[in-house]
Amino acid sequence: MDLVKHLYYFTVVAEELHFGNAAARLGMAQPPLSQRIRRLEEELGVRLFDRSSRQVRLTGAGRAILAESREILTRVDRLRALAGRGEGAVLRVGVPPDLGSAVIAALIAGFEEADREVRLAPAEMWSADQAVALASGALDVGVLRHPITAPGLSFGPVLVQRPGVVLAASDPLAAVASVHLADLAGRRLVLFPGEPGLHEETLAECRRHGFVPEEVHEAQTLGLVMAGTAVAFGPRVELPGLRWRPLLGSPLTWRLSTAWRGEAGPAAAAFGAVAVRVLKEGAGMTDDGAAPVRQVRARPASGFLA
Amino acid sequence: MTAMDDAPDLGGLFRSAGVTGFLHAVDVDTGAEVSCGGDEPVVLASVFKIALMVEFFRQADRGLLDPAERVTVMADRHTPGPTGVSAMADDVTASLRDLAYLMIAVSDNTAADTLVGRVGLGAVNAMLAGFGLARTWVEHDCAGLFASIVTDSGQQDMPTDPAVISRLRALDPARTNRSTPRETARLLAMIWRDEAASPGSCGWMRRLLGLQVWPHRLASGFPYDDVAVSGKTGTLPTLRNEAGVVEYPDGGRYAVAVFTRSYGTAQNQPRADAVIGTAARTAVEHLRSRLS
Repeated sequence: MDLVKHLYYFTVVAEELHFGNAAARLGMAQPPLSQRIRRLEEELGVRLFDRSSRQVRLTGAGRAILAESREILTRVDRLRALAGRGEGAVLRVGVPPDLGSAVIAALIAGFEEADREVRLAPAEMWSADQAVALASGALDVGVLRHPITAPGLSFGPVLVQRPGVVLAASDPLAAVASVHLADLAGRRLVLFPGEPGLHEETLAECRRHGFVPEEVHEAQTLGLVMAGTAVAFGPRVELPGLRWRPLLGSPLTWRLSTAWRGEAGPAAAAFGAVAVRVLKEGAGMTDDGAAPVRQVRARPASGFLA
Repeated sequence: MTAMDDAPDLGGLFRSAGVTGFLHAVDVDTGAEVSCGGDEPVVLASVFKIALMVEFFRQADRGLLDPAERVTVMADRHTPGPTGVSAMADDVTASLRDLAYLMIAVSDNTAADTLVGRVGLGAVNAMLAGFGLARTWVEHDCAGLFASIVTDSGQQDMPTDPAVISRLRALDPARTNRSTPRETARLLAMIWRDEAASPGSCGWMRRLLGLQVWPHRLASGFPYDDVAVSGKTGTLPTLRNEAGVVEYPDGGRYAVAVFTRSYGTAQNQPRADAVIGTAARTAVEHLRSRLS
């Protein structure tokens, strides 16, 4: 029997927990699907599904092999991808879309210097999409924002970025040199889409500093900010109609690292080294741990115990 | 550096709050400054207690007094005032440095006058002259200041009648405790640079100024957990002052001295109190924008 194919059928049934739905998804009739699952059960010598009740359930053995089955399937996909690609062709790299043209250009130039054999194929993707693409083998290396993870991913050194705030030029806060998170009270906030971990961390930090956004929009561009209806966080931008201001006390810490699946190949390792250098030199990022600890300065009138 | 063209409109801020304002702000470490009438003579009111505290700790440094010595202030010798020992009904025994704490944190007049009795106004003025603060002068202690108001107004309560207020010597910089915003900011910067006394004593002074209880003036401009605001207020009819140091989480330190005089004579003028914070924030942001 083709074990890989049977494991694939198993994972689909395990996801659907319904033979009819699983068969429809696989584009086949239900009886042959049930038969193949029975053959897999015979092969492994255990029952994978409990079909006694109206609802299909995974047995303990079924649960035990599900993660491993997925792992085998992605590895096989990756094996095929590697075989088809041949030696020294292309390194598929994911970068966050907000990184900026200059940084992406520097990544390509830096990598070309480090490895002339391999061509870099960068794709702009948000971190959640990168994690999925890395796990499935559609991407060789990613540059993604934390906290985010997926089974089997390994990470390079973590760099930190201290975002400022992007305001409409007409915002009264544009007149001051640095803005405290609390000053943003009453404003709406634009956050990147596809950055679930960063999203939660950023909002938690905003709340802690007294900024509860009236509304949070997920958007890729700064149109809402330019229109004066929201503010955004990010690295320094210079665009007409927008003003960038540092956040007082640098309360937000965005962490970022390279990521790959399993062992990094030589091209991926070379890219990782280039990425760390370029992000430090070109995007003002620093090593994790270089960030100062936030200090609360108590005052008699506003401190506790008074 | 003056750079008047890009200076913020502090005068407009003060006017819109119904006061005439004089401000001087200086970066403690770089000396960069911004001014709005910073060289005008101003009435210190209780801000003079900063100078008294400096001389008190300098005498402690020289061994002329023991800051831990306990003194008893008799109830019948209390100088009038709404806070601290001045507001207490009975005899109070405390150490000299705890009286210094009350004098700074809650502007306790009796505590201040008890320290004047130990330190001497002549010594305070000699210290100021030695620092080159030629336009800062302490004319009288709190009891002397209060007596001049009673004499000029003919009443015990703080006057609100414009005609009475206009003849108070206590509101004329030439005839009462006085300074300029620039000199007051300079004295504070010296405390923060450990130049006003020994580093240990300067540390004590920074701690006392950091325990300032009134939140409605300088501190109101910086409502942030990670920004420290230390200061000393001063209040007399139509006068609302505060001078202090603002410390940002990135290490930036700015000495700011703000002196205001309101057009109106009402005691309660929240906008006049708040503009001290607003103007200070504007000035500090201006200094910070020049860095980059």
